[in-house]
Amino acid sequence: MSALTPKGPYWVTVRQHRRVLWAVPAFVAAALAVTVALRVGAGDPYSGPSPVPLPDRGYDLLRLFLQSAGGVLVFLPSLVGAFVAGPMTARELESGTWRLALSQSTTARAWLGAKVAVAAGVSVLGSAALVGVYRLGWGRVFGTYQLHWADRGPYQAGGPVLVAYCLLGVLVGQLVRRTLAAMAVTGLLVGLVMLALGALRWSLLPVQTVITSLPSGRSAEGLPGSALLMDFGLVTAAGGRLPADACVERTGRLYDCPADMDVTGRYVEFHPASHYWPTQLLETSLILALSAGLLYAAFRLVRTRRQG
Amino acid sequence: MTETVIEAEGLGLRHGRRGGWALRDCSFRLREGRVCALVGPNGAGKSTLLTLVARLALPTEGTVRTAPPEALAYVGQDKPLYPQLTIAETLRMGRELNPGRWDAGAAERIVEGLELDPRTRVRALSGGQRTRVALALALGKRPALLLLDEPMADLDPLARHRLMGALMADAAEHGTTVVMSSHILTELEGVCDHLLLVDGGRIRLSGPMDQVQAAHRLLTGPVAARAELAAHTVVETRTTGRRITALVRPRGPVDGRTWETVHPSLEELLLAHLRSPDAPPFAVDDLLAGTEVPA
Repeated sequence: MSALTPKGPYWVTVRQHRRVLWAVPAFVAAALAVTVALRVGAGDPYSGPSPVPLPDRGYDLLRLFLQSAGGVLVFLPSLVGAFVAGPMTARELESGTWRLALSQSTTARAWLGAKVAVAAGVSVLGSAALVGVYRLGWGRVFGTYQLHWADRGPYQAGGPVLVAYCLLGVLVGQLVRRTLAAMAVTGLLVGLVMLALGALRWSLLPVQTVITSLPSGRSAEGLPGSALLMDFGLVTAAGGRLPADACVERTGRLYDCPADMDVTGRYVEFHPASHYWPTQLLETSLILALSAGLLYAAFRLVRTRRQG
Repeated sequence: MTETVIEAEGLGLRHGRRGGWALRDCSFRLREGRVCALVGPNGAGKSTLLTLVARLALPTEGTVRTAPPEALAYVGQDKPLYPQLTIAETLRMGRELNPGRWDAGAAERIVEGLELDPRTRVRALSGGQRTRVALALALGKRPALLLLDEPMADLDPLARHRLMGALMADAAEHGTTVVMSSHILTELEGVCDHLLLVDGGRIRLSGPMDQVQAAHRLLTGPVAARAELAAHTVVETRTTGRRITALVRPRGPVDGRTWETVHPSLEELLLAHLRSPDAPPFAVDDLLAGTEVPA
């Protein structure tokens, strides 16, 4: 036997889920093939002398593919969690095979460890490969409409957060037990965590602020084209902030403000594109911390459920 | 040299915080090398007791000391196996999960009786065939203590006889202690040398089979002599016409002129206890019992 052949509970886990283990690389390979083909087939609509992009079917197809792929990959962590909760965990509990496994010479912790390790390893490698494939396609159309660095979908599909969320899915799936309803609950829980962290995401790093004085200030002044706009409005001499349309009610024009309002300028709050990696890494660390907590809980649970 | 393999003290399990007790106040000791019959009606607590001894559940109260996990094999009532694995892969699993202990020969001897291609998937097996594979997995582990929950329920009488023979030969050869539950009394008679009768979540009879049987008498005599029975512990009485038949635990000499005395069969003994749930329990501590162990 080669050194690569898994041993003990690892062998059993791998053998039990052999089909899925083959399906993962097959899916990654298919995704890679499609992405490469679309990338090769995409022309450059900005290659002509005109500043207006030329119609290019290949380019549009690649953009459409990446937009939908981003939307689909957001659900990958829930899918991973549902698989771990259902076929890997709940099925063993329902069919009673956990008794078979735990009445062998391996301890419950070794058994759980093998399951978590195999599921986590496959999920991390598989999702990392998909992130790589996604970035391969994304690089060609990066920053175009809905494929901006901060857009929901591409943001998750093209960064380490997806890998971390998949890991989280594995651990939530291990923890939610008992019935096949666990699959739905797990999918939902992972989705909720993703929504919660998504809402928190742009508060992780402080925004940058640009203040331009009235009346000269133009809207985009000081704001990089790739920036993620968070908030904008008016500033007063006292440093207070007013909504952008505060003057419209009085004067009918955006930036024509009555003197008594004491408006001195406009502010724009934004995340520059350079915040992409720090935000990805901060979010990833938060998910990993959450996963570590879940892993601890899973092993605590197995210790209290059964001696030894 | 005799050693205790199972020592249960005040063992109890309750389902949920307010649920009923599946097993309560269960104390007994079992000596190494015993073949113990765990009998009782359905729902009596037999499976619960085996699950607790196998450490697949934590007791709500009490303790159980038993063989370490690697020396203990358990075959559940539903014979759980991975359906997607083949027979050969199931045995390979036994080897993988019991490193350094696995006895491939013992496992294969049990599976050979199936006369099936080892590449057959478990999901394609009948109930009886699954039983064989589950037992092969248990015996391949070379356990010191083998716990079997209704092991023969899925088998026809001939297969049952053959498999029981193979099982007993293996156990005798290696000095394995066996505890097997059943509600089919004849399945266990003649094979087991120790008895545990569980009913209503409590142990009613416990001890070496011969001593439990020796402690009971089936008396038949005239109804008029009924009062004489008060001198003994009466398990059950039945009146037919002017004759009375009583299963008793004698506490003194029985008048042979009034009473016709016979030793009850195992079945008579068990049925009498099951019909009389209020009869006091009877226990012989296996470790304090005589040292002579029936062959």
